[in-house]
Order: sequence, then C-alpha cells, then structure tokens
Amino acid sequence: MGKKFTMTLALLLVASMVLTACGGGQSAGGDKQVLNITETGEPPGLDSAVTTDQISFDILNNVTEGLYRVDKNNQPQPAIAKDVEISKDKKTYTFKLRDAKWSDGKPVKAQDFEYAWKRALDPKSKSQYAYILYPIKGAEEYNTDKGDKKDVGVKALDDKTLEVKLNDPIPYFLTLTTFATYRPQREDIVEKHGKEYAQDPDKMVYNGPFVMSEWKHKKSFQLKKNDKYWDKDAVKLDEINANIVKETSTEVNLYNTKKADVINVNGEFVDKYKDSKELVKVPEASNFYFQFNTKEKVFSNEKIRKAFSLAIERKTITEKVTKDGVPAQGIVPITLDVNGKNYREQAGNMIEEDEEKAKKLLEEGLEELDMDKMPSIELLGYDRENAKKTQEYMKERLKNVLGVNVEIKIVPFKQKLDLENAGDFQLSFAGWGADYNDPMTFLELWVTGNPYNRGDWSNKEYDKLIKKSQTNADYEERAKDLIKAEKIAMDEAALAPLYDRQRLKLQKPYVKGIARHPFGADNTYKWAYIEGK
Amino acid sequence: MGRFVLKRLIYMVITLWLIATITFFLMHNLPGSPLQNEEKLPPELKEIILKEYGLDKPLPVQYVNYLGNLITGDLGNSYKYDGRKVTDMIMDGFSASATLGVQAISFGVVVGLILGCVAALRRGTWIDSGATVLSVLGVSIPSFVLGALLSYYVGVELQWLPPALWEGWEYTILPSLALSFLVIAQIARYVRTEMLEVLGQDYIKTAKAKGLGRPAVIIRHALRNALIPAITIMAPLTVALLTGTLVIEQIFAIPGMGYMFVDSIQTNDFTAIMGVTMFYSFLLVVSIFIVDILYGIIDPRIRLTGAKE
Amino acid sequence: MAMNTDQLSPELFQPAEREQGAEEAVSRKRLSYWQDVRRRFVSNKGAMIGLLLIVIIGVMSLVGPLMNDFTYSDQNTDMMNISPFEKIEGDYWLGTDHLGRDLWTRIWYGAGISLLIAIIAASLDLVVGVTYGAISGYMGGKVDDWMQRLVEVLVGVPQLVVIILLLIWLEPGIFAIALALALTGWVNMSRIVRAQMLKLKSQEYVLAARTLGANTRRMLTKHMIPNVMGPVIITLMFTIPNAIFFEAFLGFIGLGLRPPQASLGVLLNDGYQMLQLYPYQCLLPATVLSLLMFSFNLLGDGLRDALDPKLRQ
Repeated sequence: MGKKFTMTLALLLVASMVLTACGGGQSAGGDKQVLNITETGEPPGLDSAVTTDQISFDILNNVTEGLYRVDKNNQPQPAIAKDVEISKDKKTYTFKLRDAKWSDGKPVKAQDFEYAWKRALDPKSKSQYAYILYPIKGAEEYNTDKGDKKDVGVKALDDKTLEVKLNDPIPYFLTLTTFATYRPQREDIVEKHGKEYAQDPDKMVYNGPFVMSEWKHKKSFQLKKNDKYWDKDAVKLDEINANIVKETSTEVNLYNTKKADVINVNGEFVDKYKDSKELVKVPEASNFYFQFNTKEKVFSNEKIRKAFSLAIERKTITEKVTKDGVPAQGIVPITLDVNGKNYREQAGNMIEEDEEKAKKLLEEGLEELDMDKMPSIELLGYDRENAKKTQEYMKERLKNVLGVNVEIKIVPFKQKLDLENAGDFQLSFAGWGADYNDPMTFLELWVTGNPYNRGDWSNKEYDKLIKKSQTNADYEERAKDLIKAEKIAMDEAALAPLYDRQRLKLQKPYVKGIARHPFGADNTYKWAYIEGK
Repeated sequence: MGRFVLKRLIYMVITLWLIATITFFLMHNLPGSPLQNEEKLPPELKEIILKEYGLDKPLPVQYVNYLGNLITGDLGNSYKYDGRKVTDMIMDGFSASATLGVQAISFGVVVGLILGCVAALRRGTWIDSGATVLSVLGVSIPSFVLGALLSYYVGVELQWLPPALWEGWEYTILPSLALSFLVIAQIARYVRTEMLEVLGQDYIKTAKAKGLGRPAVIIRHALRNALIPAITIMAPLTVALLTGTLVIEQIFAIPGMGYMFVDSIQTNDFTAIMGVTMFYSFLLVVSIFIVDILYGIIDPRIRLTGAKE
Repeated sequence: MAMNTDQLSPELFQPAEREQGAEEAVSRKRLSYWQDVRRRFVSNKGAMIGLLLIVIIGVMSLVGPLMNDFTYSDQNTDMMNISPFEKIEGDYWLGTDHLGRDLWTRIWYGAGISLLIAIIAASLDLVVGVTYGAISGYMGGKVDDWMQRLVEVLVGVPQLVVIILLLIWLEPGIFAIALALALTGWVNMSRIVRAQMLKLKSQEYVLAARTLGANTRRMLTKHMIPNVMGPVIITLMFTIPNAIFFEAFLGFIGLGLRPPQASLGVLLNDGYQMLQLYPYQCLLPATVLSLLMFSFNLLGDGLRDALDPKLRQ
C-alpha cells in the first residue's frame, strides 16, 4: 500500500516534470541532437573584444569564429580565413577570407576584423585582454595612449583581404588568431546597442557553428545550430542547453538524474569513477608552482630553494591529494608545442626529487647563510578548495622531510595578488595559465623586471635567451634557446613547479566528438554529436 | 502617530546614508581593483583602464559622484558583468531569492507557531520533547548539510523532486524546505517560552474565569503576547532569507542574490557591492520600522513614541 | 467517653505566649533569589543531563586528541578516506579524512575550538547584547531611537567587507574571528532584550516598583533582567550555533582558521563536499555538533525555568 502510494506519487511527479520539460512546445523527437551541459558560472559578457573569463571564451568559441579555429588536435586551422600568405621576414600576414556570413545574412568582411581589433585596443573600451594583441605593430602604443589608431598594423585591403603587420616574427601568431579577442565584430551592431551590446542573445550577431538562442542570466542559456554558418554541414548538434551550476555535488546530482550529459567534477570523484569510461581527463596548459621570494634571506640561497623543490613528492599530490593533475616536468606544461612539436618531448623532464639530497642541500644552504636553523616560513596560499588541500599536504611534507615549519596564510585572492605584486611574501603557492600555444607564455614571466616575476629571481643568461627568442625568426634555434633558458631557471630553482592541472569531466557514453583544448577556450562543440542514447 | 512615522522616515534616510557612506569608504580599502583579469593585466594597461573607469580620481570625488547617482536612483553598471545594470542584476536575483524566502518563511512560521503552541500547552509530555528535539535539530544541522542531504536522497535516490535547478514550482520545494528548518526552530522555541510565561499570568486566568473558551484564550490572549520576541527575530531573518542565502543557492543551483553579494565582494565589483548593500539595508530598515509598529498593535501597552513624554 | 467536667480547671486555660510578628515569619528556610535558582536548577533532570554532556564534550575536547597516537595534523597518504567501518590496521577509531588524518582526533580538537568560539559568542551576547538592549529598551525615547539607528547601521554595512579589511590588519586566526563576531554577533540579542524591556516597562508590577521609589539600578537588576531571562537564554541558544556556523562560513570563503587547524564548522564544510562519497566525514562532526547543541538547549531550558521568577515556588 505504502509502496504503491509512493510509486504513484513518484510517477505523478515524473509526469509533471516531463510535462514542464516539454513546455516549450517541441516534441522530444528521437532524432533531434540535443546536448545538455553545465557551466560553473554566469558568463560575465560576450563582447569578444573585452571579455576575459573562461566561460565567456567557451561560449564565444562556439557562436563566433575568428580567422583560424583550433582543431581536435589543438592545431590552428583556417576558418573564416581561407588561407594566409606569410612574408619572408615572417612579420606580415595577409589573410584571404572565405565567403562566410553572419547570422543576419550579411557577409563577414575583413573590415569586421580591423574594427574589432582596433576597438579592443581603444583604451576607452577598457579591454582587459587587449595586451594579447600587442604582437601587432603599434598595438601597445595605441592601447597605452602613446600611439595613434591609424598606426596599428591591421588593415582591410578589401572586403576579403586582411593584412596584419607584426613587431616580431613570432611563430605562434596563427594560434593567437583563434583567441576570443581576435574575433571579428560588426560595427553597426556594436554601435546600435552601445553599452548593452552582447548582453542578450538578440543584441549581437554570430558567425560560428551555433547561435545563442536564449540566455536567462545566472540560470541557463541555450545554443542552437547556426544555419548561416559556412561549414554548417559539419555541425551535427541541433541544440545545446547549459545550466549554470556552481556546486560540484549538484552537478553530479543532475548527471545522475539525466539532466546533464557532461559535467565538471573535482578530484574527489576520481576514486568513484576511476574505472569508468565516463571520466574524462582534459589536460590544461596551466601549471601550479611554489614561487620563492628571492628577496627573502633564506630564499636568496639557491641551495635552500633547491632543497624545497627536491623535497616534494609530486606524484602524491596528483594521485592522492588533488587527483586532478599530472606531476610537473618543468616550468612549461606538458601540453604546449614549440615549432610544431611537443615542447616537453624535446626538453625532457627537468624535475628532480630526492629527500636525502634535499636535507643535505638545506644544511649546506643554511651554512652558507651562517644560520643554524631554518626559520618558520609563511606560505601564501589560495582560498580555493583543491589548492587548500595541496597547501595542507605540502606543509606536512616539508615538516617531515626538511623539518621546516610552514605556516599557511590564506587571504582572499585579490589580497594575495596585492601581496605578491608588492613582494610582501616569503613563499607563494601560485599558478599560471597559458594564453597561447608556445612556451614563451610561461618563460617570459621570469625575465628580470617583468611585473609578473614576483619572486624577483634574475639571471642575465636567461634574460638574454628569452629576449633573443622573442625576435628570432629561426624557429629551430628559438626552440633550443627556450629549452636552454628553462634549464637555467630550473637549475637555479627560480621556482619549484608542482603540477599541471587537468580538468575533470563526467561524460555520458552517448556523447561523442567534443573537442577539448588545453588553452584558449575549453570546448568546441562543432563536431560533437549524440549516438546511441 | 503621524509625527512618529515622519520622524522615523527621516531617520531611515539618515541611516541609509550612513550605511552608504561607511560601506563606500570601507569598500575602497579592499585589496586589489575591480578589474577581472588582474592576475595577468600589464600594470600600465591596468592604470589606463582604472583611469577610464574614473577610479583614479580622489575618493571624496568618487563618493560625491556616487551619491549624486544614488539620489537619482541610478545604482550604476557592474564592473564584472561587463556593464550590466546593477538594478537589473538585483531584480533578477531578488525574484528567485524572494520566492524561496517567502515560501520558507510562510511554511516555517506556520509550523513553528503550531509546534511552539502545542509544546507549551502540553508541557512536559512527549509532544513537548518531540517539538524540542525537532527545533534543536533545526538549528544544529547546518542548512547546507540539510540541503545536500535533501537534494541527494529526495532528488537523486528517490527521484521524488528535482535535485536542483530553477524551472518551476516543484523545483522550489526542496530548497524552501531546507531553509525553513531554521525558521521553524526559532519560532517554535520563542513561542513556547513566551506562551509558558503568558499562560501563567493573571489576565489569562481572568479570561478563563470569564468563561472564554480555550481556543479563544490561546489565540486572543496567550499567542498574541507570545509573539513579541518571535517578531523581533523574524525581521532580520526575513530580510536575510529574502535577499538570499549563498549555500542553499549553490546547492540547488538557484540564480539568487546570495551568491551575487559574496561574489561582488570577492571580485571588488564596487557598484554591485553598493547596490546590494543599499537594497539590503533598505529592506532591513523598513522591516525594523514595521516591527516597531507591530509591537504597539500586538501589545497596546508598548508605546515607542517617547515613554517620558 | 464523656469527660468529667469537674476535671477542667481554669489553670488549664493559659494564654498562649505570643511573640510579636511571629506569624509573619516564613517557616521554610529563607532563600535568596539566586539560592532558589540553584535549587531549582539542580533538581531539573534535563538541565543536569545537558550540563553533564557539555562537560563531557568539553573534557573530551581536551583529552580526546591525546587518546591515540595521532595529532590533528598528522597525515598518512596511504590511509586516505578510510571509513570507520572498514577493518584496517592502526587506531583510526573514526576513520580518516581526505589527507589521511585521524578523524577522532580532529573532531575533538575541532569541538574544542568550536566550544571556544561558542563561549566567546555567548559572553559577547550576554555582556554587550543584553546591556545594550536593556539600556535602549528601558530608557526609551530619544536614547532608544539613536541606539537602534546605530544598530541598523552596524547591521547594514556588509560584514564580509569588514572582515576582509580586518584580515589585512590582523593575521587570520581565532582572534580575528572573535573580533569579527564582536562586531555584530550581539545585535539579535540586543533587539530581543529591547523588545522585552519595552513590554515589561508598562507592566503593573514594574509600575508598582517605580511608584514605590525603586531606582533605575534596582529596577533593572531586580525586576527587569530576571524577567527577560527566558528569551535571553533562548537567543543564546541560537547565538551559539550561529557563531559556530559563522566561523564555518569564514572557512568556506577561506578566511577562517589557519589550516590544518580545524573546528567543527570547518570539518562540516570539508565533509559536506564529500557527502555523496564519504558521508561519515560530514555526519560524524554533525553528530557531535548536534549533541552539543542539544545539551546546550537542555541546559538552557533548565536555566530558563530556574531563572524565571514567576515559576518560583
């Protein structure tokens, strides 16, 4: 009786849910390709010229398209551009555009690119990612109020030809053109909506595989297949529904009740799903490390810095503590390429772990500094969940191996940045994510005088190698120089890399073909489809 | 009474102005800037953007500007959400939070009142103990644990109700329930205590002696007098629930105000901080005013209009 | 059995010795208000059980962490997330957490810190909250007006902003938490006391006392304060979990104790993230917390009954 009643109740509820779910008036046809996903937050803004966050990048990557698009293997492939002509000095790129259309039927023109890039560089746009355009001639000058708009090296020669002049012959410019800030924009649409541009689905236009059809702020959004997309035959999904869910356990609940097909999980769920095909690990081009402040007496000593790096067991962190990463092999994450080949495969593993050597080096270091005991060290940490675990583990580890007392100082993220920028820390647990697919995005941080070189480590040889590589058109030699530079920084333990992060996902077996990327935007749904649901 | 209301209205404006002023100056001492990509932003570019936002001007100038806008009802645009209007953001979040809050409070007050009354009238029996245990559990199990348990067992294991999201009425049941426990607990405890006290007083005996029926005695005399502390505590609680609770919103993926507030503070979204603060304070000040007036209605002996006059 | 009336003599009828005012004397031992409170409190079984439980939890928070070989920070990466029901080597009586730390030790250690926070919050409530509310409600008029407006301002300014600023000046830790609590933790109490004061002020016995010339001090201590004790104690019972959760909330946004220090709130926070995977990590601290709250409530009920002058026998 009781059971029956429960069943009836459950059935009624299920029925009512189904009814509400179909409230839109569409029948749930079996052949319709629908993907249900979750996002961890509200996209702060879809104006490609000014947006800075991962969620907006992800959406923009699927509703807009730049000159190039990153493919499944993370290589840039022609998209709105048909092909490109690169000058001999590798400083002038001439793109030929294909016949692509915006979602309102108007053609995508070279002028749209010129307009968007210059708009991003206009200080009045307040774009916080404008610096990604700095490789372009005159871009930095215009953006920092020192130069003129007309001197920016991007020009539409005609409707279908775009000429870009660079400062230096950088090898990664084509990957840069896949980045959100490099997308085209329509002047008429931007002007029409002014401040409200791209804040609602009908206040922008699209030229990507999908269009945004609905956006309920902070709650959900929906993408639909773009019929005006130049490569629409490659697009199989009809609809992508995204709910904004901030809590991992909530995402799992939705996944288990079939309200989401792909979700994000944290390391804790790895154990439960480790034998399941549903667990997907996506390597990220981001890296977490200990930044030593070399202005601090103890960390001015190379041997002590090395001792800290040697004492760490990176595998324990990635396999047992955070469970969402792989041990670092150097400053540059394993996902990045240089000169068309994987960087780490060329550079090798530069990390050494050795407890005994660590203890010995610590002693020698203290002797060199004329100290008899290692003082208590303050570790400036993150206030985020997984990082907190790593910090607590590291504290105990350093105490056990080196006998060093580490005090963890957790402050709000903004204050952590302030303290780091002011050099007001001893040891910091820090992280960095790649902006583009080249080791330079990491290695240039530790150049003397770079504002991000928060530990003030300095090495003349390193500076020279990086500076040379920034302008070197010989990509073969450049790759070797970068490896040499990284080796120097590692030998002197400018920092102690810990692990490269991975994104963890649960994905139903019937979801196929989502391309995931370690840098730039996270996902491309262009080739995704549902099979065997 | 008219004079009293007018005086209080003036005080309300002064209070709000003080809150705005204090919050404004405290907020600008928060570490970092309202820029989102601060971690990677080149320092030179950062300076230029701050200048474009007018954040390089001296604080008193910014303050006067802000206050000027505030008077015209303009709360400004968000820094984080790419120039979205703070007023719109508050209204978006408030509709969800308020739905939840109203349901949790109505349910909580009704159940709390009944539990409290029954416990007091049946003092010392198992009913009393049961009500006590229930209300103690209500405060001692944090709402996030309760929320997570409800979402998992009712939503996933039993599949009776949706475990999360915000699509229709059935989606509001679990989070409302999780929130209402705190209300039930507090109301029940206060009502029980006060009822016990009131029931022992002479006028209750008089009322009974006059031949008034038991329900009439309880409702007209006892309950009415027992409500004072319950109402006092309800005002801030109501405002807190209406303006959202971070954890419940997160667990049930509800687009409410709770997250907006914490997020705006953590990202230094100055205009959003001020907007939510002013909105919250306004509700709070009004609710306290209403409570003060309610005191007089519930217990005519209470006069706020100057006891010494 | 008739009596012989002859046997009655006038001598038998002596006037009783009468002491002036003797019939006015109270035969039972005279108890002061506080003596009576103690007597009634001790005879209340529930209250005594509550007190006993609190003492036990208090003692365990000091002794518990010493009862096995682990400290609250000892990690063992080979023994992570071990449930208490799993049969394993070693003395993990309540299992381990996500870093292989002994939960038994951490729960009692955390209970200690939470108790400390509870005590701080309760004292603040009693000292600041009651005094503030009593003065505001008793004085009434202009004083009340201004004191209440001040409270509104205090509550209106976002606490989180103040706390982040506090952290810039102070190091994170128990002192910063206490200070954060001190800012607004007592506001509810003061409002409850004020409301009661407003109500009591106009009651007959208070008017009588005033007419008889009682001064403010006497009025407050003899008549008003004992009569607001009921709601005060109930409020106190809510302040304590609120304070414990407030501390947990600070931990939630990363501003609480210095890890690996833990409180019950922090344990709950860590635990609830893993409710689906390792429920014991959440439910064990929740149980201890609920037990603690339950005993506080039993104690509170007893105290309330004992302190209520109208229930005096």
